[in-house]
Amino acid sequence: MSLPATQKYYWIALTSAKSNLAYLGEVGSRVVFLGVILYIFLRLWQVTYSETHSTSLGGLTLPQMLWYLALTESIILSGPRVAAAVDADVRSGAIAIHFIRPLSYPLYCLFNTLGERLVRFALNLFVGATIVSLFVGFIGVNMTSVAFFICVLPLAFIIDFCGNFLVGLAAFWIEDTVGLQLIYSRMTMILGGMLIPLELFPVSWQPLLKLLPFAAVVYGPARLFVAPQVALLQDVLWHQIAAVIILAALVAVVYRIACARVFANGG
Amino acid sequence: MSDFAVITENLRKVFSIRKGKGLIRAATDVVAVDDISLEIPCGQAIAFIGPNGAGKSTTIKMLTGILRPTAGGAKVLGLTPWTQRNKLTRQIGAVFGQRSQLWYHLPPRDTFELLARIYEIPRADYLSRKKMLIERFGIESFLDTQVRKLSLGQRMRAEIAASLLHHPKILFLDEPTIGLDVMARQELRDLISEWNQQEGITIFLTSHDAGDIESVARRVVVVNHGRVVLDDKVSSMRRQYLSSKVLSVKFHDQPATFVVAGVTILKASHHALKLEVDTTLVSIQTVMNEVLRAGDVADITIEDPPLEEVIAHIYSRAKT
Repeated sequence: MSLPATQKYYWIALTSAKSNLAYLGEVGSRVVFLGVILYIFLRLWQVTYSETHSTSLGGLTLPQMLWYLALTESIILSGPRVAAAVDADVRSGAIAIHFIRPLSYPLYCLFNTLGERLVRFALNLFVGATIVSLFVGFIGVNMTSVAFFICVLPLAFIIDFCGNFLVGLAAFWIEDTVGLQLIYSRMTMILGGMLIPLELFPVSWQPLLKLLPFAAVVYGPARLFVAPQVALLQDVLWHQIAAVIILAALVAVVYRIACARVFANGG
Repeated sequence: MSDFAVITENLRKVFSIRKGKGLIRAATDVVAVDDISLEIPCGQAIAFIGPNGAGKSTTIKMLTGILRPTAGGAKVLGLTPWTQRNKLTRQIGAVFGQRSQLWYHLPPRDTFELLARIYEIPRADYLSRKKMLIERFGIESFLDTQVRKLSLGQRMRAEIAASLLHHPKILFLDEPTIGLDVMARQELRDLISEWNQQEGITIFLTSHDAGDIESVARRVVVVNHGRVVLDDKVSSMRRQYLSSKVLSVKFHDQPATFVVAGVTILKASHHALKLEVDTTLVSIQTVMNEVLRAGDVADITIEDPPLEEVIAHIYSRAKT
């Protein structure tokens, strides 16, 4: 009997994960980068906490803040260059090769990305957690934190993939998507709360920031890990589900329109 | 199913391209494929060639269902490619010399495993097919070596084996030997040719390499400006399309001065001459008589000109 069609996507993710284990040398440079970033922020937050005479900022203690930072950095740094890859596929015509396989190109990219990201995230987290625990020790991580985090992380990756994939598809219409890629990644970093939790943004901004998909990618998972709350989990999950539905629908529509623009030029 | 692997009828593709700058851009129609009709019997090896921009890729993309034609029709293995692409993808294979389907950081074995899942090949079938391909393509020794560490020749052998895993009935080969050295190139051509003859797979080859065309294909279709300008057997292409022969003559002594209308001396040394004979102006027999008169002949060979020249000649004829 033929293998179920869905299994192929699982294998794409698995193969991608395996392939990315070949990049273990990259871990070395990441250790240094994460180490430097976390050290700088340790010092910055230490000064901030002492100057404000606070034990808690935005609901987080200093160790929690550093762990939050390790998680957001791990999420951001694990992001594969989806938009650039899609852009290259469109520009070189390689996208056509995917059309002659019994596969959906967006799903192929999604599972390829998930496989790659899983490996990169695990390595980043390992490095980040090691460094942070050396700086500020462990925080009270329990099974709830881990469970909440695992619950929301896959959806965070899917949302980020959709955003990046849409940016990459823009190559069908515009000459160069590098500018868009930069805007998207910086918005994810800043508006997603990579360096500063959303609670520390102006109060009037917070509802909007929490509504945006960037928060569902970065802030939500990291916050749930360091300060797990059922209400927050529900909130993050609803936002994530809504973001996935809207972005997936957008991907489907844009992809369908883009496919009609596939040209055969250049082999 | 019919006896034809591919049938196209008046296939035409027009792209609308916007030209100009800024907001003021006028749409211009560009005819990429203009009225191509072909019938390719199952099991035939065909070379589909033409200069850059001739419409080869567009035709292939219509035949593989990637593009929908502006007019005309096509059946590939009895299926309409652009409406039944999903079904068709399971019956065709493709190798693009410049684009690899193998995972660069993994050994070919991993790509084989993945392709088995992508094409949903039953496990037992996959294992026996893989075993057979490994033997036939001689890839056992590097099956577990990362693709990035393979030579280009090894990689291409693995590429082709990978593209045959799912029992395709047609194999599209786009510049399969590009960048390979002479030995690897010939090895690959032999493998493709062998597979075509023994397994009866239809080969649809595009290449700028005359050697590929001669070794692999029995039939050649030349396209230019979106139209078929030649559809013939590879063996008769030379005879029909170039009215010249190349004579290489070795003499025991220095030959007398050689001047015959319709004969160009390509190369002359102390004891040898290489002549190009325009057979529309002078017969081979006349030239042979003149050669024998010029000196004491030690050896003589008569050859067709290289296929590259024939192809260049066809392309230039199509322009005029």
